[in-house]
Amino acid sequence: MSASLAPECDEVKERYDSCFLKWYSEKYLRGKGTTDECAALFKDYKRCLTSALKEKGIDKMLEEAREDHKENDAANLRRR
Amino acid sequence: MKVFSNDEVFDYSWEEVSTANWRKYCPWNDKSTHVIAVDTLSRSVDPESGILRTERLITCKQSAPKWLASLMGGNETSHVFETSYVDPVSKKVTMISSNLTFANIISVQESVVYQPLSATKTQFVQNAKITALCGGWQKVKNAVEDATVTRFGENARKGKEGFEAVLEMSRRVFREEKEKARMEVEVQEKMAA
Repeated sequence: MSASLAPECDEVKERYDSCFLKWYSEKYLRGKGTTDECAALFKDYKRCLTSALKEKGIDKMLEEAREDHKENDAANLRRR
Repeated sequence: MKVFSNDEVFDYSWEEVSTANWRKYCPWNDKSTHVIAVDTLSRSVDPESGILRTERLITCKQSAPKWLASLMGGNETSHVFETSYVDPVSKKVTMISSNLTFANIISVQESVVYQPLSATKTQFVQNAKITALCGGWQKVKNAVEDATVTRFGENARKGKEGFEAVLEMSRRVFREEKEKARMEVEVQEKMAA
């Protein structure tokens, strides 16, 4: 897996990424994955990442981009 | 505004491609070295459609040409924000990304779609809209846009090569794991007998 932009988060990220990939390929793609089994691991990773983003001052510009991208949801969160 | 478009076909199933796509920038990909980190910001399965929605932050080494980098303030890294959607029923991955860094100078809006062509082939369609926002001479804007389009083409070519390596390794590891599991079952059966 790829590294985190915050080296101190690499370990928790690796654990989460492995969990997700397993869930994605073995359950989600086979129509058996409606719940996220990796939520607890994601919480640990997210906690680490959030403080790193704040420290680096990336959190503010992320918020703006996130708002802009929500416009894409209407077209893409729909089954065709 | 300039447009960059690119189409590729991968000789792998959509399931393999969409899985390997999550680790496109892992160490198996020794071509896309400009990507130094990929972080997941949020992830959820939409309760109504069943579509997996993911937000990621991609961190790149500054790869702009020197004159452009100095014009843009000389940061060492740049960031891209990506929202992706996976529909496992209609078998479609859509990824939409835009630049966070230098957003006041240039806007790069990219979309990538992965869809199956057959059971063993997957199509990749990439489109990017590049718009220089800096005020002033059209000549400067054109040069900024052209340089960005050129860099996009280079990275797209490297990205394809690197992703092919990731796909090959993913398939090999998957086979090895399956073989290992099969042998473990055999050993257990022998011990039980």
